[in-house]
Amino acid sequence: MSQPPPRRWRLSRRGFLIGAGVVGGGLALGVTLGLPALRLALADAFEGAVPPTIVTTDPFLWFDIAPDGRVRLAVPKTEMGQGIHTALAQIAAEELELAWEQIEVVQSSSLGPVADNFGTNASNSVSSLFAPLRETAATLRELLRVEAAERLGVAPAALSAAAGSFFVTAEPQRRLSYGELATGATAREVPPEPPPLKPGAAWTLIGASLPRVDLPAKIRGAAIYGYDARVEGMLFGAVARPPSLGATLRRVAPGDVAARPGVVAVVIERDFAGVVAESRAAAAAAVRALDVEWIEKPPLQQEQIEAPVRAAPGRGVAVQRAGDAAAVLRGARVITAEYRTPMAAHAHLEPQAALVDVRPDRVRAWVSTQYAAGTAQAIARALGRNPRSVEVIPTYLGGGFGRRMISEVAIEAARLSAAAGRPVHVGWSRAEEFQNGFVRPPTHHVLRAALGPDGRIAAIEHSQASGDVIFPFVPAPIGAFFGADFGAWRGARITYAVPNITVTSERVPLPVPTGAWRGLGLLANIFAIESFIDELAHAAGIDPLAFRIAHAGDDERGRRLRAVLAEVAERSGWGGPVPAGRARGLACAMDAGTVVAHVAEVSRKPEGGICVHRVWAVVDPGLPINPDGVAAQTEGNICMGLSSVLFERLSVRNGRFAADNFGAYPLLSMRDAPAIEVTVLRSGDVPYGVGEPPMGPIGAAVANAVFALTGERMRELPLMGGNSNSPPP
Amino acid sequence: MNLTINGRTYQVADDPPRVLLWVLRDELGLTGAKFGCGAGYCGACTVHLDGVAVRSCQTPLRQAAGRAVTTIEGLARGEALHPVQRAFLEVQAPQCGWCMSGQMMTAAALIAANPNPSDEEITAALERNLCRCGAYARIRRAVARAAVLACGSGEAA
Ligand code: FES
Ligand code: FES
Repeated sequence: MSQPPPRRWRLSRRGFLIGAGVVGGGLALGVTLGLPALRLALADAFEGAVPPTIVTTDPFLWFDIAPDGRVRLAVPKTEMGQGIHTALAQIAAEELELAWEQIEVVQSSSLGPVADNFGTNASNSVSSLFAPLRETAATLRELLRVEAAERLGVAPAALSAAAGSFFVTAEPQRRLSYGELATGATAREVPPEPPPLKPGAAWTLIGASLPRVDLPAKIRGAAIYGYDARVEGMLFGAVARPPSLGATLRRVAPGDVAARPGVVAVVIERDFAGVVAESRAAAAAAVRALDVEWIEKPPLQQEQIEAPVRAAPGRGVAVQRAGDAAAVLRGARVITAEYRTPMAAHAHLEPQAALVDVRPDRVRAWVSTQYAAGTAQAIARALGRNPRSVEVIPTYLGGGFGRRMISEVAIEAARLSAAAGRPVHVGWSRAEEFQNGFVRPPTHHVLRAALGPDGRIAAIEHSQASGDVIFPFVPAPIGAFFGADFGAWRGARITYAVPNITVTSERVPLPVPTGAWRGLGLLANIFAIESFIDELAHAAGIDPLAFRIAHAGDDERGRRLRAVLAEVAERSGWGGPVPAGRARGLACAMDAGTVVAHVAEVSRKPEGGICVHRVWAVVDPGLPINPDGVAAQTEGNICMGLSSVLFERLSVRNGRFAADNFGAYPLLSMRDAPAIEVTVLRSGDVPYGVGEPPMGPIGAAVANAVFALTGERMRELPLMGGNSNSPPP
Repeated sequence: MNLTINGRTYQVADDPPRVLLWVLRDELGLTGAKFGCGAGYCGACTVHLDGVAVRSCQTPLRQAAGRAVTTIEGLARGEALHPVQRAFLEVQAPQCGWCMSGQMMTAAALIAANPNPSDEEITAALERNLCRCGAYARIRRAVARAAVLACGSGEAA
């Protein structure tokens, strides 16, 4: 599946690695993160809430042109439904002048050909790789051009490239394919200057809605996910789970479990007990039969988790400050409101799963993980191995949503495989999934504002409190330095033109493990802010659309926001007639460089509750690489966001999460899914992320529609009322 | 005992008692049917028994004996995709894809039984197939499209 980069490469002045390809010679070109790029990436990491982790000098993109003309692009980013492999292939094929069928994207493992320094998260894959991918592809193209010029006896400028060949522009029949040029080009020097990039006007693949490259296999049920990974001679593992949150192992007595039919190994370590068996069922039954004693904490209750999450003005760390909001608010008539969001589960449909084969000299692991390098390091640590001897091969992921930045299951399978001397697959049950790992933290928001005589916002204050989001994944000193969790305050800043703004974020340590959930703080913060903006619009007696447009800034972002709002108004017929018994709400967000606005149309269900009939969405991701892909991500964000906003609340009862399966934690179904109309706008030549931003405004769009319908403000999620999770059966 | 899966016969032990899903996935290497909940909530494990959609995580192995089991791997006729698969591809319905075997098997059974389903009939048939990625709008469109494709080709059964 993956091979390390060829050993005999040369490093060019510009940070390219050039050498012979791994598939029968040919040409290979990779690009390393030079020091300036590294600094940028780290800066981005803090801005965009990407956990900074190991940073290596390994290449992060790798092209391989085989003598038969096949072009393979190795990428570190994992495919979890966001269409990332397709988008990256489009960008590469465009710059390299390939026909769409000529490129193949290969998922890199933790050992290469490329390094995975950040994992796949924070909607940053396309935006962070766009420029380096184009430049690398263009460099490769120019190496081939020089080789072709010499072989054809013409000046490089006399050549054109198309569909994987260079030809003499004036005599198109004189041509050489990339495959024919590849081996010779390995001796060429990387040009000292960056090559010219193809102008946007000439693009045919970037901006085209090409079909996803991973779907043919997925349609046939042939795509391999972590839960599907199989090798010869594999066994199955199961692990003893703590009976309550925070419980640790005191003592394990194996009894006669090792003698049970099908049991191959019983593994008892200081903090771990598991069984390897010939079948999943045998392993699970054997683990249940172990006599395990736990050290338990006093049982946690829901009150202990939500009560400390209390924001208040003047507390926490300032994450945005303009003018002097406190001073303006002091003498003014202050409008204030509080919002709450609950804990939530990731509930990706494929539970954690890994297959690990531990050998004396090396380890191979097939894992549904968002972060191959981090998983490899964790396995190496657990086994006391050199990380360079551990290869984590990311499979397809049955959803990620942040949960798979950490893949504990791979460590479990590794420990079991090390003990059994055979490859071991561990796949979590749904209950294991709900009870172990980490959840989205609860949040609380206090918003205060004053309107000027012109009905504009004179000052606004957003004080938010949240459990940790990113801090669990970064070294403690970084957390101490920043004070407020930059994941928690993602989306918390006010993006409207208001002269006096204060936004603070308060970190609340919680007794349950919390962490990254799709969009991090985005869903919660935008729910609070965009609901409050709606309250302010009503207080000012101004239509919520006009109010937002009036507060869009005069800069580039403000211009994009106005365009998106105008478009969503046009598409939805904002202000026009609405079917009887229904009403509409509007909300918008700017996140990760992408601008998005939703209009939701709702009614009351006769049996109580909210029915969301339609959503009009407009999204401006700068440059949409694949507009249909952007639309699909937008639809998915709306539905996953609605699921969370309408139904989801994970609670704790007697020391456990009060849900073991979807019965107690219902997800949105097709019955409650609205009709969605997405419009994708292009505002520039740089792509921004779409994996999360469209989720931001959906909660407020619905809550604002409910207000328009009933006059009732809903300031707490889930909107369909306190699902406190039904008692365990 | 004998199991007939996608037209092939497999010999499997009927002891200990177990459900069809794990026999397919862990014993026979047919990993197309997915595991999502193991309790009948999600539908990711949906397969056909004699053309009827069932949740294989809730299907005792013995219940499958002597009946035609079809999984997603057997939905296409060789290279020729089933109309449901063609429609899901055309509409680009899958995101992560984990729920999609179940969505497609449920859709295929629906269309076989009801070649011209209404929107409400599509929702009624599919509402117990969860999709965490939220691809519902496209799944709905794909099922409606599949009905049209199937009707043109006579491949529904
Ligand atoms: S796995 Fe069978 S219904 Fe969820
Ligand atoms: S496509 Fe991911 S769960 Fe449906």
